[in-house]
Amino acid sequence: MIAKVSRPNLLRRKNLRPVAQLTIPTWIFLALVVLIPFFYGVYISFLNINLASFLPPSFVGFDNYQTVLAASETWSTLRITLIITFIGLLTQIPIGILLALVLHENLRGTKTFRSILITPMLLTPVAVGLTYRFMFDTDLGVINWALGSIGIEKVNWLGSQTSALFAIIIVDSWQSIPFVMLLVLAALTAISPSLYEAARVDGASASQIFRRITLPLITPTLLVITMIKIMDFLKLFDTLFILTRGGPGNATTTLGLWTYKTGFVFLEFSRAAALGVIITVITLPVYFLWRRASRGVR
Amino acid sequence: MILKRSASYSLLFLASFLSLFPLFWTISTSIKDRVDTYSLPPKFFSFTPTLKNYTSLFSLEKFWQIYSNSIIITLGSTFICLVVGSLAAYALARKPKFRGRTPLEGLMIAIRALPAIVLLLPIYKLSSYLGLYDSKIGLILIFAGFNIPFAIWLLMSFFEQIPVEIEESARVDGASTFKMFTRIILPLAAPGLVATGIFVSLLSWNEFLIPVIMAGENSKTLPVLVASFISNRTLDWGPMAAAATVALIPIVLLTVVIQRWLVAGLSSGAVKE
Repeated sequence: MIAKVSRPNLLRRKNLRPVAQLTIPTWIFLALVVLIPFFYGVYISFLNINLASFLPPSFVGFDNYQTVLAASETWSTLRITLIITFIGLLTQIPIGILLALVLHENLRGTKTFRSILITPMLLTPVAVGLTYRFMFDTDLGVINWALGSIGIEKVNWLGSQTSALFAIIIVDSWQSIPFVMLLVLAALTAISPSLYEAARVDGASASQIFRRITLPLITPTLLVITMIKIMDFLKLFDTLFILTRGGPGNATTTLGLWTYKTGFVFLEFSRAAALGVIITVITLPVYFLWRRASRGVR
Repeated sequence: MILKRSASYSLLFLASFLSLFPLFWTISTSIKDRVDTYSLPPKFFSFTPTLKNYTSLFSLEKFWQIYSNSIIITLGSTFICLVVGSLAAYALARKPKFRGRTPLEGLMIAIRALPAIVLLLPIYKLSSYLGLYDSKIGLILIFAGFNIPFAIWLLMSFFEQIPVEIEESARVDGASTFKMFTRIILPLAAPGLVATGIFVSLLSWNEFLIPVIMAGENSKTLPVLVASFISNRTLDWGPMAAAATVALIPIVLLTVVIQRWLVAGLSSGAVKE
């Protein structure tokens, strides 16, 4: 049964079947990279594949899940993911809003500024990571030099957990704030100017206008951003890999990077697959909240 | 008012400076002599430019092969994304409801939502069975698969702008669906195809996790080469910065061209229902 269409008859008769068939090539590709791999991954997670071993894999039930859930690394890397996510959101969302508000003033040169400000999110993350690694260098880095010139002592940025986490958040923020800014800017543009005029006529102050009008109206967008960013922090890989490789030790390893290490460094393939399934389970509620929140945005 | 305006401008200038400085620093390090690179205080402008780092980068045994791998894989996967994506985007833009639409969109969103590593583990295993490990064809197909959703979201927004009336009149004149699509819709959406193509090729050009897992010596791409500098014990920042610059320059040039459509591309998939 084909769903009813609201288009004129002309289109209904001849066009219905061909149009749905146009998605077949996409189905094939998505089956190849999402559907089949996902279920195969679930299957692998119940075997005991180790890439270094030549023994034929056998079925081990939930063993991998038990091992993985009992391992302290799973929990410590989850904790690090949550810390990065939390501080990252607290940094990126306010700065993103601030920049969007300033761009929304439509001052002269706004277009140029906007082009400049979105540049970071386009650049190759690996190259960005490399550049920042040089800039964060303890002795030769330009960041410590700049801090030194205002009297702050040298920081061994990538050498300890706290400062390395900050360095990672700084680099991610540098690349991600433009995304927050763009989405907030779109939300601001959608607010009717008459609302602001009415508020001004009523004698509302700038901060009142922001709190009572702007903020409530961009809240759905902020929720969408929050959900997407939570998923992105779980995905975080390129810059993290270049900056610290999750080190020192596992001090900056996130759950996603830990899955990579388990599979491709420690070669415990089935355990990594089990971690993958766990990540999917963590992602699911965020995913649904995101879809729900995005309905409020248009 | 004036005070507020100057505060806004200072913020914009500060943010612009912070946005561009790392780019400037990469490029300037890439044309510095070793001595200038390691000098303190850092040399921002007062140094004699040199191409030494580039000559040593280009003389790396595999540099040109890796560079051409990157270009081939980027172009190949972008082409697939445009062909496959434009068909699906047309269907999604024109038919609000058809069978299989919801699961299809679910899969598209899954790519945006799930960490790629979750899917790449099984893909790695499957491709070694299929002989697609470390093959350019394999990488092109996987890159395409991961980027098709972005192509579709972006193309949809262009197709939606083409009035249905144009198609209706073509249909009255007896054009087949295929003819109508290739002769009428695609030409009208040409700017959208260009913008989408550039945006998708950016994604491919920047991609790191897929080739780090799926590429060996034959199909290594530029980001993998750039990353490999870091594992060398002797950190030589000059050639590293040159490698980073070689990766970054095409992006800067391309984004100047598609400035107008960039914003739509960058937020694609985020708020679409």
